[in-house]
Amino acid sequence: MSRLWAWVDSRTGLGDLWREAAGEPVPGGARARYVFGSVLTFLFMQQVVLGILLATYYSPSASDAWASTAYLQDQVTGGWFLRGLHHHGSSAMVVVVVLHMIQVVIAGAYRAPREFNWWIGLALGGLVLAFALTGYLLPWDQKGYWATQVATGIMGSVPGGGGMQQVLQGGVEYGNLTLTRFYAVHVFVLPLALGGLLVAHIYLFRRHGVTPPATLSEHELRQKTQPFMPYQLFLDVLAMTVTGGVLVALTVATHGADLYAPADPSSNFVARPEWYFLFLFQLLKYFEGPLQIIGTVLIPGGVATFLMALPFVDRSPSRAVSSRRRVLLMVGTLMAGVVALTAIAAVEDAQNEGYQEGQEMARANASRARELALEGVLPEGGSAVWRNDPAYEATVTFSERCAVCHAVDGVGGDEAPDLGAFSTRAWLVGAIRTPRTAAYFGGTKGHTDMEAYDEAALPNDQLDAVVEYLVRLRDEPEVMPWDEALAAQGAKLWEEELECSGCHEVNAGEGGGAPNFAGRGSVEWIARVIRNSAGPDLYEDSAEMPSFEGKLTDAEIEALAAYVHGLGLE
Amino acid sequence: MGAGLAGTVLAPATGLVLFPLHEDVTSGGEEFVMVGDRAQFGVVPRRVEIFADRKDAWNRVTRVRIGAAFVAVKGGTLSAFSTVCPHLGCGIDFDEESSCFKCPCHRSSFDLEGAVTEGPAPRGLDALEIEDRDGSIAVMYQRFRQGVAQKELLG
Repeated sequence: MSRLWAWVDSRTGLGDLWREAAGEPVPGGARARYVFGSVLTFLFMQQVVLGILLATYYSPSASDAWASTAYLQDQVTGGWFLRGLHHHGSSAMVVVVVLHMIQVVIAGAYRAPREFNWWIGLALGGLVLAFALTGYLLPWDQKGYWATQVATGIMGSVPGGGGMQQVLQGGVEYGNLTLTRFYAVHVFVLPLALGGLLVAHIYLFRRHGVTPPATLSEHELRQKTQPFMPYQLFLDVLAMTVTGGVLVALTVATHGADLYAPADPSSNFVARPEWYFLFLFQLLKYFEGPLQIIGTVLIPGGVATFLMALPFVDRSPSRAVSSRRRVLLMVGTLMAGVVALTAIAAVEDAQNEGYQEGQEMARANASRARELALEGVLPEGGSAVWRNDPAYEATVTFSERCAVCHAVDGVGGDEAPDLGAFSTRAWLVGAIRTPRTAAYFGGTKGHTDMEAYDEAALPNDQLDAVVEYLVRLRDEPEVMPWDEALAAQGAKLWEEELECSGCHEVNAGEGGGAPNFAGRGSVEWIARVIRNSAGPDLYEDSAEMPSFEGKLTDAEIEALAAYVHGLGLE
Repeated sequence: MGAGLAGTVLAPATGLVLFPLHEDVTSGGEEFVMVGDRAQFGVVPRRVEIFADRKDAWNRVTRVRIGAAFVAVKGGTLSAFSTVCPHLGCGIDFDEESSCFKCPCHRSSFDLEGAVTEGPAPRGLDALEIEDRDGSIAVMYQRFRQGVAQKELLG
């Protein structure tokens, strides 16, 4: 073994490289607050590996993105876990970037001669945020779609930004090219840029070494110097392990990342960015009209410029914290501002009922969409998942088979009754008062026997009683409860005064030339009409509607009946 | 020579990246779309979804939702507003209680005429062209640049 190693070493110089890396002196000794850079490198490597694994399932197109993510999340072994780790990993990177920056600021490590490394570090931090922004859109779910609309919208709102927005999102609106572009940036451009800058960052770090506490004298620093291995290495590995452990725990506790319903440009989703962008989101609320550029560009840009200029802003003679109070106070104020804005955004949402309701609905839609996606999603796109819903199938059957004659809320044919609010009290009132209008039986040949009852023939209070009686006959107390006293009054009118019972029977099964009203309007009754409206207790000879018995399956007829029934339930 | 070599790749690469600037990548819905019967609409705006065939780069899909609009009839006049917030593109809601349009993202609100009453929106809601065709209402769905004071058609 040692001979093999000697052979490899003599040809590659790996031994020297290792000795140099491991033996690097840490002036003043190993410290826990030096771990952040190593933890970030570890997190980045982990994100790369996880990203590659996700890419083996993910398909970046408007038609496939959501469906492939749902497949990975809900069907592939370990998919939810790896995607969850990748998602929480980005949060972890942002947290550790901030901790790293705080440590660098407190230690004064941005000062000469380390200015370039400070700038590279800021650029790396920016790249981490760019990763988060581009990755958020990729699942093509409601959350990513709407939140990213805001981000690209900001870009388009600055002077000259319209073209940039169009190039980045691949057109004037979101579509296939938005995904391929965000994907290419997320998985090729950003990792290459981050990897390259990371090498430069580490090279410069090695060149200048750690920035030891200013309180130690040169002599003390030399005296306490330890080699990187094993002292600092141990702390670094410990920190990586703790970070990895927290990530795994978080992923398991949250069952990975959210996946909302497929992106729908016609919906109104309560869009929120990822938590670490909430302060920017909150900032947008304060500047109105032409001033909005202050919140979108000027303040964030000003803060970035300030951080870039920090090595020059800081004119203090020494690195000691005591001599840099002013600079530390400025950075501290900025951090406090970020924390405060984030907190305000969170509190406002917690108190906003509309937001809470929107969230609840979004979650319900998400779980329904993902349940339906288990059957496979049609290639038309994520939203096509809704077509797996039997209720949706019924609407398609309706538009193909029924809408030629029946309208729904005015849309559709006018040869048969409008079913928009079928059998609601208002519908029944209309059917009695104006049976010959297009919304009822006006367009139906053969349905000429039913007379219109105007107010003289049937005063409003009597009409209400009769309608209430019809509701009782329908006998669906759980969806349409009735007023018993009023219904009883209606029953009396029906039996003793009005002529309805001459044609309409009310005991199940009996025919009288017009539909029997027992159970009229229930799902079962509607299904019977669809099967064969010419039944002896339905429309008999006057039936215009074709029989669908045998043309549609039982399941289709039942779904259709449930759909029509549902139209009258709102 | 090196510059020439780089140029042979860079020039087409630039063209490829900037392609969406001068070509219509997505299209569809540039015509009037039926949204319902006149009788369905009243003073209170009603949200309708706009269905159209859409071409998205290499895909063509038929009858998909490309957006939504609020349609109202007031004193015989028809009006339609896009549900896209002119601020930064979130979907607007209509709040019946206060009888105004509200953006769930950054607190912009708009009155029934679409004018901004509160919040960061730089202009009022974007009115869409609307037509009454013998009692059937048709809307032309369009998108406009967000975050700017002028209503500027995209595409």
